[in-house]
This record gives sequence, structure tokens and C-alpha cells, in this order.
Amino acid sequence: MTTESDSHLGEAVAARIERRWATLSIVVVGVLVGMAIFIGIDHATMPQGHVETADPKTLHLTGEFIESNLGSAMEADGSVTVRAIGQQYSFTPQCIVVPSETPVTLRATSADAVHGLLIEGTNINTMLVPGYVSELPVRFKAPGEHAMPCQEFCGIGHQGMWAKVKVVDKTAFLRMMASRRRLSCVD
Amino acid sequence: MSEQKLFTLRNPWFGAAVGITGGIAVLSFLAGLIWLPLAQPDLKISGIWDAICSAAGVPRAAPQSSVQQPDFKTSSVVLTSEMLTHPDQVSIGRGATLAQRCAICHGPEGVSDANSPNLAGQFAAVTYKELNDFKAGARVNVVMSPFAATMSNQDMLDIAAYYAYLPRVPSNKIDAELAAPRIVVTGAPMRNIPPCGACHGDIDTKAGSPWLGGQSAVYIKAQLEAFASGSRHNDISQQMRNIARQMTGEEIDQVARYYAAQP
Amino acid sequence: MLINKRLILAHFWLAFAVFGLALILGAWQMFVRSPFNAWHFNPEFYYRSVTAHGSAMGYVFPTLIAMGFGYAITEATLEKPLVGVRWAWAGFALVAVGAVVAMIPVSLGLASVLYTFYPPMVGNPFYYIGVVMVVVGSWIWVALMSINLMIWKRDNPDRPVPLAMFANVAGSYLWGWTAVGAALEIIFLILPVALGLRSTIDAGLARVFFSWTLHAIVYFWLIPTYIAYYTIFPRAIGGRLYSDAMARISFILFVVVAMPIGVHHLFADPQVGAGFKFMHSVFTGLVTLPTLLTIFTICASAEIASRLRGGRGAFGWVRALPWQNPIMLATALSLVMLGFGGAGGIINMSYQLDATIHNTQWITGHFHLIFGGAIVIMYFAIAYDLWPHLTGRAMDHFGLMRTQLWLWFIGMIVTTFPWHYVGILGMPRRMAFYDYANPAISPQTFSVGMSAVGGLILLTSGVLFFVVLIRGQRAERSDAGAYRFSVPIHMPARIPVALNSFGLWLTLMVGLTVVNYGYPIAQLLVLKQTNVPAIYVGASR
Repeated sequence: MTTESDSHLGEAVAARIERRWATLSIVVVGVLVGMAIFIGIDHATMPQGHVETADPKTLHLTGEFIESNLGSAMEADGSVTVRAIGQQYSFTPQCIVVPSETPVTLRATSADAVHGLLIEGTNINTMLVPGYVSELPVRFKAPGEHAMPCQEFCGIGHQGMWAKVKVVDKTAFLRMMASRRRLSCVD
Repeated sequence: MSEQKLFTLRNPWFGAAVGITGGIAVLSFLAGLIWLPLAQPDLKISGIWDAICSAAGVPRAAPQSSVQQPDFKTSSVVLTSEMLTHPDQVSIGRGATLAQRCAICHGPEGVSDANSPNLAGQFAAVTYKELNDFKAGARVNVVMSPFAATMSNQDMLDIAAYYAYLPRVPSNKIDAELAAPRIVVTGAPMRNIPPCGACHGDIDTKAGSPWLGGQSAVYIKAQLEAFASGSRHNDISQQMRNIARQMTGEEIDQVARYYAAQP
Repeated sequence: MLINKRLILAHFWLAFAVFGLALILGAWQMFVRSPFNAWHFNPEFYYRSVTAHGSAMGYVFPTLIAMGFGYAITEATLEKPLVGVRWAWAGFALVAVGAVVAMIPVSLGLASVLYTFYPPMVGNPFYYIGVVMVVVGSWIWVALMSINLMIWKRDNPDRPVPLAMFANVAGSYLWGWTAVGAALEIIFLILPVALGLRSTIDAGLARVFFSWTLHAIVYFWLIPTYIAYYTIFPRAIGGRLYSDAMARISFILFVVVAMPIGVHHLFADPQVGAGFKFMHSVFTGLVTLPTLLTIFTICASAEIASRLRGGRGAFGWVRALPWQNPIMLATALSLVMLGFGGAGGIINMSYQLDATIHNTQWITGHFHLIFGGAIVIMYFAIAYDLWPHLTGRAMDHFGLMRTQLWLWFIGMIVTTFPWHYVGILGMPRRMAFYDYANPAISPQTFSVGMSAVGGLILLTSGVLFFVVLIRGQRAERSDAGAYRFSVPIHMPARIPVALNSFGLWLTLMVGLTVVNYGYPIAQLLVLKQTNVPAIYVGASR
């Protein structure tokens, strides 16, 4: 037999449990967002900080994405800048060479469709949208070779758009760089 | 239920909903557009306003850097997929006259047996681009370079329009029995070789990529080898060199034989 | 009280027919790109198939389910015939014709741009026109839901809107607004180019517009499933809904925060500022809230049903649940998939973790597990529950139904778990084939093979589903009685006006959209130099 007061009591209990669960859920969400902020600051991993534009029609005519300027370049501060473009259906340079344990800035854009690049075995992953420059600070731990596929559908030849990244020992890299202004591992 | 007013501060739901939503929006704005950018040393943010602009996505100029100039001429043609797809009759007529001097090698109807490219029915953008590259020295050929040197831009447009207008003549080497080799159908993905037809017109077209059917096998082979060695380098941003240098000699032969036998 | 049964049945049948065709394509795609197939084929067929599969499964199938289920809910909860039946048929016709108009160029290979459009690639204009027709057809449904609710409220000023109807209308408003993003993209950016009026397009802006639709569309797909959780499941297992108010709050949260979060699809894009990416990331976190609330309410409702049946113990009550009941089974399997899929989703929503799996096979695995798994299995359940009421015939092949549901669940797990794994290894999505002989990707061979097996299991389950429906259509006539939704244990005497109307929540939805999307869109609109040449696809020879 349930009485009027029993029912009210039940309702109050139900509401209380529900409120506790809702509070817990809000805490969970708060922790998740807090974690994102913490990692963003502590590991300085946030999305690209600036928006930059580039005209995909004229990449090959002027500016930093002309053919002879692509590849790895040594900077005055000891870091390395890698410039690359994505086009139907290859990245240029087709084989990127970088030193290990060195800050590397990857600057890339697309000459036609939307492309993307990811380097297998690393967390490096970005979109290349025609009209805009993607810039990514990266660092490779150990020497080795990684596949670098295009990760966004860019046309019928998309499945054939695989490049390579060779990470070499820093001294070896400096030796290779000595005689060249721009470096790639395309033979 | 209807007598209760919704949009009034006396309604606790209204106040709470707007307050909480607005609060979260404001807090996430402060965190995302001010705090986080300022906390990142790499960004070199100069102040709050700079932080907001940068995080909001106001475009900035590319950082200055010295650009390594090429030690060889590269193509200066700007290609788009709709360029030269609407030819006019006057241009075609002028092109017909101008093209008479091309007939020795390319045939009076744009088709010849002389191992030079068959131009009849070729995409106008392709012929135009190659003429331009010959003229500019991005592509070099003892016969073609002097011809192109004297042409005006309009001449090149007209000749391209004329050849695009001519019907493709089926080659006398057509061999419908010849199965497409694997390198043509699927390429070799891990070597960065897409299917040829993804650009060259069997499956889809890419601006500036020629129609290959019925071209001389000798010519196709020579061009692939020239791309592979880098002696030909007028393909914009290495798009064809990237592919050719990955191909084996046998694959180049297969491709050349296959396309020579196609319509 | 279902009156316009033919209207509702037509929606469900067309939806499932489209689903069946797209399922076959999906299974074929899984096979051709797996190590079981020697990849000597034209890759264009693969992309053509992906375009058809995605467009059918993303735009047509769930839209028709939401529409048909929405009409059923309207008549069953408001206890009167639908107002605007002719308009409803017109909407149905628009969706049906639109689907055909879109699929003709796709099947001819003239629009292999995938269902996410990917400008600056531009396909045949009829593909986009067809998609717009589907959306416009569904907007008629949105309007009808709103009109029917308004008329009922005018006639019943003192009664709370029934929960199922409240949720249904919430879903329709969410869809009405979220579809605007893709509609703007198609009408103002893509179609002028496809029709040859312009030759350039801002690919970055187009992606921002699409993200406006792309994420909230998932919640539109999800709403019928959640309606089934809240208003079918407790009744079907002989229990009651734990809480009416919390259910309303969950649906309201979807309306408010499902929209301003789409930019989390663009974390890796260069055209949106990091600050707005962060704001969208925060709201993406909030959208887990209604799901967490739902899981609690549904599990609590299940416990109530179990205890009424004599279940006891802290966890022992789980055994006393009516597992023979297909709705019970479907809901449980759905929640398991929602749990795994949701955990994956939490990874996707944070920028730092997203970078490891962005655009890999992980993402494909994620949304197949959530949509194909958790959501679609409840669409099956809704059909099983509604069918006897629509056809007036008995539907009692419970064993077959359970087999079908189990196969779907197993198939989904076998398909998507390996996908998640190879995604972590870095396998990019949407490629027609992979050279498994290459040492760089040979470690992925076994997993991809497994997922193709999963595809086959899903196909088998799909066939069984049609067997059940067709048998149901041919069974003996029997009266299933009035169609009812679950009632809460404590029926609130009064419901605050905020939980009984949408004005406040729609204002917040639009307001948040303006706050979170206003600047990124306005800025790209102003930026003229980022209009890039279109690439016309399918224009061979």
C-alpha cells in the first residue's frame, strides 16, 4: 500500500539521486575541459595560432612555396623549417628529410584541392586547404622512416598520394645540409 | 501553464539558462582568445588585443624569410580547370593559318607518324602551356624552342584553340586487345604513383595534363625518362617528376605501349 | 491512435529501402579495399560508391526515419489526425525525388565528391540540387511538427506537451537550423560554380559552413533513438520512465549545445582561429552532458522495470530484465555501442588527442559505431515496435529479431573496433585501396580483413531485418491496440513553462550559433583572396 506521503518521499529520493548524477556529469565535463586547457598550456599543444593566406594559383611563381624553396631549410636559431605543398596527387618534396631532436616548423599549403597530411607513427596531422597556409611546430624523437599519406579525399588519385619522411641523426643532417640550401631526400 | 511568462527574469529558468549559457560562452572566450594565446611562448603575442586577433583568426602576413631561387627556368603558366574551355571561332580560324608551319612534324590534321605529339583534339590548355614553356625556356627542344620564341601570346592561344577543335583521329596502331597494365589502372600507391587516368582523362582530368591516347610510344617514353631524370622540369611543382622518377624502366615501356594503342 | 498509417509506412519503407541499397554498397566498399581483394580496379568506382553510400545513409535514411517517426509520434501523442497531410506527402515526394535526382549523376560518376562535398572539387549540379530537395522536403516536416504542436497547445492550454512530442519537435527544430549551414554552402558557394556562373570558391569558408551542419546532424540522427530510449523502452519492458523533467532537459540541451560545436571537425584546418576552436571544444564537452543524463535515466528506468519483475540485488536486477524482448535487447546493445562510441568521441573533441587520429580510419570507426551502431539499431527497434500498429498485423518473430539485432551488434563491433585500431596506426580514411604488401602498412592487414568480415555480418543482419519486416507485412491481421509511450513514475502535475516550450531554447541556440560562428564566417566572407579555382570532377575526355 502506498500512501500519498510515500509517493512524495519516493519522488524526493528520485530527484535527489538524479541531482547527484547530474552534478557528477557536470564535474566530468568540467574535468575534460580543464584537461584540455592544462595540456594546451603545459605542453603548448594548441591549434595553429595564426591564420595566413596564400594564392594556390601562383604558388609556383613567387613566394616561399616555389619549387626551389621547398624542402628543409636551416634557420639562424638552429631550428629547421620544412616547406611543402600538396597537389593532385603528390606532396613536393616527395621525401622530406628532418633531423631528430630538433625543433622543426612545418609550413605547407595546397595548390589545388583540399589535402591533408599525417605522418604515421607520430601525432603530426594537419589539413591543407587551398588559400591558406598550415603551420605546425613538430619534433621527431629518433631517426627512422615514416609514411606520410594524404589523409583527405582530394580526387580520384587520392589513394596514390603517399610521401615519406626520413628522420636522420642531427649530425648527419648538418653534414647533408652543408652543401645545400634546401634539402629533401628525393633522389 | 500558459499564464506563466517565459522571457522574464522572474522566471528562474530564464535567468539560469541565459546566465549559465552566457557565462560559459564568456569564460570560454576569455580562456580561448586571451589566456591560452598569451600562455604560449611560441606565438610571440604582444598584448591582449593581439592575442584576441590572432586567436580569432585575423589573417597575418607570412613571416619574412629568404627564398631560394631556382637555377633553372620553371613554368610560369597559371592553370585552372576551366581555362580555355570556351574557344571562339575567330581564334580557331587564326589558329588554322598559324598551324600550317607546325604541319611538318605534327601533321596537316594534327596527326603524324613522326614520333612528335599528335595535337588533334588535345586540350587547349595543354598546347597553350607547352608553347608558353618553350617560349620561356622552361621546356627546351631544339626544334620547338625557336618556333615558340617568335609567337605572341595570342598566337599560342589561337594554335591551342585550333588543335583542340580538330577531331581526335584514331591512331592506326589501335589495339583494343591490349589489356591496361597494372601501373595504368592502379598506379603504385606506396611509390606515390596514382592511376594515369586520374589526371590524363580516362577517369578524370587535371588541368594541364595531356590526353595520351594515340601518342607515339617513343615520345611518351622519352618524356617520362626526361621527367625522371629532371632534364624536363616544366611540370608545375614537380607534379609529373614525382611520378616518373618512381617508375621502373619496364613500367615506362608498358605505359608508352599502352597509350600508343589507345584511341 | 495512428490515422495516417500509409504516410508513416511510406516513410519507413523508403528509408529502409535506401538503407538496404546503401548497406550493400558499404559492404562492397569494405571488401574491395580489404586484403581479400586484388586491387586491380578503377578507383573511381570506389569513390562513386562512397558518395552514394554517404549521401544515402547521411541525408536520406535518417531524415525519412525522423519524419515518419515524427508523424507517428504526432498522431499517437496528440491523439488527433495530423494537420497538413497533403503537405506531408509533398515533403515525402520532395525527399524521394531529390534522392533520385542526386543519385543519377552520382551513379554515372559525375559527382564523385563524397557526401561531404569537398569544394573546390565540384561535381554535377544535379547532385547538389537533389540534396537541397531532400533538405527542403524535410523542412516541410519541421514546419508541420511545429504547426501541429501549436494547434494542440492552443486547444489544450493546461496540459503539458507529451514528452515524445516535445522531444520530436526539439529534434525537428535542431534539424531545421543545423541544415542551414550546408544549405548556405550549397546554394551560395557550390551551386553557382556547378552551374558555371562562377569559377572560384572559398574552400575554407565552405568547410566552415559544412561544419555547422556536420556535427549537429548527428544529434538529429540521434534524436529518434533517444526518443525510443525514453518513451518506448520503459513501456516495452513493462516499466516506467524514471524522470520526465530530466528527459526534457536532455533534449533541450541537445537543441542548445549541439549546434555551436561543429568547428571541432576543423581542429586541423588552417582557416579558423585557435580561439574559436577552443570555444567549440568547450561546447563539444557540454554536449556529452545530455548523453550522460540519458544513460542514467534509462538505466534507472530499466532497474525499475526489473524490480517490478522481482529483480533484486545491487546488480542482480540486470538478470531479471526481459532479455527475450527485442526492444530490451536493442536498447542494451545500443547503449553498449553508445558507450564505446562516446568514449571515442571524447577523444575526438579534445584538440590534443584529435591530432593523433584526425582523418584516420578511427573517425570512420567512430561514426559508424555511433550512427550505424547505437542509432540505427534503435531505428530497427522503432520499426519492430511500430510495425504491428502500422500494418495491423501481428509481428511475433522475436527469435529472428533477436538474431538480427545480435548480428548487427557483432557486425558493428567487428567492423569498427579494427578501424579504430588501424586509425591509431595512422591509416588514412577514404582511400580506394592500400598496398598491404608494403611494410609500412602490412601491420594493418589483419585488422582491415576483420572489418571486411564485419561488413559481411552487417549485410547478413540487414537481410534478416527485411525478412522480419516483410513477414510482418504478410502476417495475419490482428489488432495491436492503441500505440502508447511510456509514462513516468511520478507524473508531474505542473511543468515549468520553460520545459514545455521552445522559445527560450531556440533563442539560445541561434544566439550561441551567432557567437561561435559569427566571426569565423564573417571574416572569411570578407577575405577575397582565398577564393580558389574550382576543380570540376567527372569531366573526363
